[in-house]
Amino acid sequence: MKKPETVRRPKWEGILWLGVGGIGGFVLLGGIGGFLGGLLGLIFIESAEPGAGLVDGVRNGFTFCGTAGAIAGIVWSRGRGFNPQTMRKLKRFHSIKRGYWSFLILGAAFAISLVGPLVVGSRALVVIHDGKLHLPALPFSAKNSGQDFGLAQDKDEQEYTYEVDYRELKAHFEDTGKGFMLMPFIPYNPNENDFREGVTHPASPNWQQRHLLGTDRTGRDVLARLFYGFRITMLFALVFALMVYLIGVVVGCVMGYFGGWTDLLGQRAVEVWQNIPFLYMVIIIVAAVSDLPFNLPIWFRISILLSIMVLFSWTSMTYYMRTSVFREKARDYVAAAQLLGAGPSRIIFNHLLPNTISTLVTFLPFTVAMAITSITALDYLNFGLPKPTPSWGELLQQGVANLQAPWIVLSAFVAMVTVLTLVTFIGEAIREAFDPKKFTTYE
Amino acid sequence: MKRMIWKSHLLLGTLLLLAQGCNKKELKRPEGAGSPSNQNQSPISMDEEEVRKLARVFAQELAAELARQGTSLATTTNEDKGTLASPALRLNSAPEVLDFYNSNPEHFTITNPSNLPENLKWESGADLEEFASPNAKRGGTFMEYMPDFPRTLRLLGPDGNGSFRSYILDYNAVSLVDTHPENDGYYPGLAKEWAVDKSNNTVYFRLDPEAKYSDGNPVKATDYFFCLYFMRSPHIQAPWYNDFYSTEKYPNITIFDEHTISITYYKSKPDLLEKCAAIRPIPEHFYKELDEQWVEDYQFEFEPTTGPYEVLKENVRKGESITLTRVPNWWADKKRFFRYRYNPDAIKVTVVRELAKVFELFTKGELDWHGLGLPEFWYDKLPDEHPLVANGHVEKLQFYNDVPRPTWALRLNSSHPILSNKDIRLGLNHAMNFEVVINEVFRGDYDRMRSVADGYGPRSHPKIRAREFSVEKAREYFALAGYTNTGEDGILQTPEGKRLSFSFSTGYKRLEDVMTVLKEEARKAGVDLQIEMLESTSAFKKVSEKKHEIHLVALNVSVEMYPRFWEPYHSDNAYKEPKEERYDEQGHLRSGLTPKPVTNNFTLLADKEVDDLIEKYRVSEDLGEITDLSHKLIEKIHDYGAYIPGWVRPWYRVGQWRWVKYPKGYNVKESREPFEFHIHWIDTEEKKRILDNVASGQKSGEPAINIFDQHKLD
Repeated sequence: MKKPETVRRPKWEGILWLGVGGIGGFVLLGGIGGFLGGLLGLIFIESAEPGAGLVDGVRNGFTFCGTAGAIAGIVWSRGRGFNPQTMRKLKRFHSIKRGYWSFLILGAAFAISLVGPLVVGSRALVVIHDGKLHLPALPFSAKNSGQDFGLAQDKDEQEYTYEVDYRELKAHFEDTGKGFMLMPFIPYNPNENDFREGVTHPASPNWQQRHLLGTDRTGRDVLARLFYGFRITMLFALVFALMVYLIGVVVGCVMGYFGGWTDLLGQRAVEVWQNIPFLYMVIIIVAAVSDLPFNLPIWFRISILLSIMVLFSWTSMTYYMRTSVFREKARDYVAAAQLLGAGPSRIIFNHLLPNTISTLVTFLPFTVAMAITSITALDYLNFGLPKPTPSWGELLQQGVANLQAPWIVLSAFVAMVTVLTLVTFIGEAIREAFDPKKFTTYE
Repeated sequence: MKRMIWKSHLLLGTLLLLAQGCNKKELKRPEGAGSPSNQNQSPISMDEEEVRKLARVFAQELAAELARQGTSLATTTNEDKGTLASPALRLNSAPEVLDFYNSNPEHFTITNPSNLPENLKWESGADLEEFASPNAKRGGTFMEYMPDFPRTLRLLGPDGNGSFRSYILDYNAVSLVDTHPENDGYYPGLAKEWAVDKSNNTVYFRLDPEAKYSDGNPVKATDYFFCLYFMRSPHIQAPWYNDFYSTEKYPNITIFDEHTISITYYKSKPDLLEKCAAIRPIPEHFYKELDEQWVEDYQFEFEPTTGPYEVLKENVRKGESITLTRVPNWWADKKRFFRYRYNPDAIKVTVVRELAKVFELFTKGELDWHGLGLPEFWYDKLPDEHPLVANGHVEKLQFYNDVPRPTWALRLNSSHPILSNKDIRLGLNHAMNFEVVINEVFRGDYDRMRSVADGYGPRSHPKIRAREFSVEKAREYFALAGYTNTGEDGILQTPEGKRLSFSFSTGYKRLEDVMTVLKEEARKAGVDLQIEMLESTSAFKKVSEKKHEIHLVALNVSVEMYPRFWEPYHSDNAYKEPKEERYDEQGHLRSGLTPKPVTNNFTLLADKEVDDLIEKYRVSEDLGEITDLSHKLIEKIHDYGAYIPGWVRPWYRVGQWRWVKYPKGYNVKESREPFEFHIHWIDTEEKKRILDNVASGQKSGEPAINIFDQHKLD
């Protein structure tokens, strides 16, 4: 192996590694921790409400183990680098403009969506009232009721003891001149119903009211739902892809490396598992969850859905890993490592994995695309994300059911096509970049 | 990887399949109809039948022997002996059924016509007018849909009261006597004549000798006996029926001859005739076995009906559709009040799971009608300018009816540890903003429901109104229950950090908007509602097994003189434990009781005082007292706060293709649904003409938007 000093290392390489290590460790250990935490919580945490132990256990397990995993991942990845071949491939990816730009656009959109409430949200960014500064859009900031800002009653003459509607407050400030406020660009959150006098919903796009893509049947802003739908879909798809790869790679490597009975039995087990109909399992489990004697918070229900999808999707990864490990393990460097006394785990993770992973990387974008379509389809069928989580499937469903309001279906459709196209461009570029036959082109 | 992509394709494929359609229009004709259907039985069931016959012969001999000895004997009294020669009266029942009759001799009496009381005033509804139109034409297939395939074809037992039952029982079977849907009278059904004897709580019926079941067997007087045997059996797993038809309620049925019976009710209620006419003949010859297996054995067996439409095995496509066909030479075809009704040759009910697709199928002409009750349909999807309406292919109708209203309301499960607290329940009453739902989602077309029993005239409470939405009051009540802190997400908490959060479920996909608006509004009052949208059948299962917390559902109510309180509010239907174990010495509900499944007490209201009032109400014979008790009960239930009234709709709105014809005035006053009384008909030639016009882009006539408000109340 070449020594690291011989290659000039760009900064992004280190950052990429830290990212990979951190996120990978977080998801892997977080997943395991969540599962164990759930079991422990169910048994040991005594709580006032039934089921709360389970939920707490999962949450704590996930947070603690995930953090530990992220730290471990970062430590592990510090100072690591790609081997020169991979570096060449990455540089080639950079040179494929279409894929590279798609990557940047999608990455930027995703990054923006992660700080969503600053762009799309009902909470003001800055409020100055009575000489005090409030930053309600930030997490953990104090949530002030209408009365805190001197509004005794809301527009329906209800006592203003709940969190103030900042749009209403802004109008109040403009009337009285007592205070200053800066709202996000789209001043709506994805769940609130914007009912106004004389407007029937779905209402068409309206710049004055800042409903840039109109509203849906219950007066929710379509753009806000689209935006947060994008965030949840992307998060879902990425975590899904990571989990599927982690499980698939480990199982595939083990089968390939040990071969023989392990491989034979493992393969049969995978085949059996694969033949369990996925959609029915989702339907059954969704029904079972609704029959539980206690309520699960929305994030927990989403995690259940994610786990089911992962459980029934990791199998296909094992085939690719298994075959490439079969091929690689016959090579001399593996024999050399074995002679030097390296154990199986060292050989698998340090020697085989770096040499086989490139095939898998090329699949990644397509897995993400698959996850996006699956979750949208499930949503459309009412088995997806719990209501009223903003989701594209739900928007499509509403849009199809309300063709007289084309802005709903068009928004969802265009967004979906754009994202899937970008992902496909990235995927093609990666495939080209990682292709051992350098001269293949995809046009 | 291919497999993964394939999987996502599978999902999309499923979507496409759903988006396709029910395009199978062919229809199987009844085979060998009209003859008793014992021909196609397997050899095994033949053997069973043989055994059964032997057993019956034995039982008859035994009964005769007992009779000779003059011991416990219901079937004959000493002086009647020998007059019971007619076959309808020979109790061809299975031994266990005979035993049942014999062990309850005072409840099942066979005597002779000379024992009929004199001076009975026989009525036959002859002075009432028919409500169907003589212009009606026979023929055609009426196309309807259902959102889910029925879980059973049984008429009762688990899942038996699903919405499909109305096709095969409620809107189909003929009763002894029916209430006239336009005025106060009654018209004859299975009984040609009837005589009410108020002093003895008894109604006498002269049965129509022509009455037959759809399998060709005649309706026998003994089938009314069998009804009670059947309804009282634990094997039907239907506690509501067990009670409704209990010995206490129906202490006696007497057969005078094969076409004369009397039914006695336990109280001389103001609507005694209706109560007695609720006994329907159950075809004894059809139910071979009534044991623990009954629920499974008869899951998809269609009970022969006295009504005009039957379900033949070959017309049931599991998961897809059920087609009801007209019984050939139906016995009541030419009778007054039944002629000119039930005009289509068949009714095809197709499963369409996707609500959006239902409307598309309707606009394609594959469904004959579509409800326009929701404002989005009336105003947006089928506006007056819609080409189908403007070109006169489809007609829009609004019909004001005058009936008790379905109870669209939220049911709080008061056995839930937090919802058992009255303050929480009252807080939730004030946290539900139905005003904004009615104004925004329903565009002001509906009215707020007032109480648990609206539309019963003087029996409804004159003053009680649903609690209004009020953040202030809701928060006050929640504070009383200890929810004093506000969490980071704006939801109220106890100082220990317990959030005020509930599951909020429904089985009506089309009401998703109502659910989301209520959820968002409730946040203002500091309540978190977790929406669960379920399939209609699983939602009903959930709520009838009492696994819900807050559930939005409507129960259809019968057109009756006074509301029913026992089934939805008596503790008998809330908890399994016997009554004396439900309450402690002070009359408070004990904790740790087991909710009772398969009953309609969705609020799990259990209150000793309410129980006592309901019991008094049930036995009361005086209309004035009934009215008083009804008001008291409505108040009590209102105070308890587990029922949050939703909305009522004093009309129904329909879009229907112009080939669906109707009598003048559209429908009868007491119709709850447009096709309940089957007085419409299909003009098949018109259908062809209209569909041709649609295809060629021609008009079929002038646009028709008709509002029938002859029965509108102010």
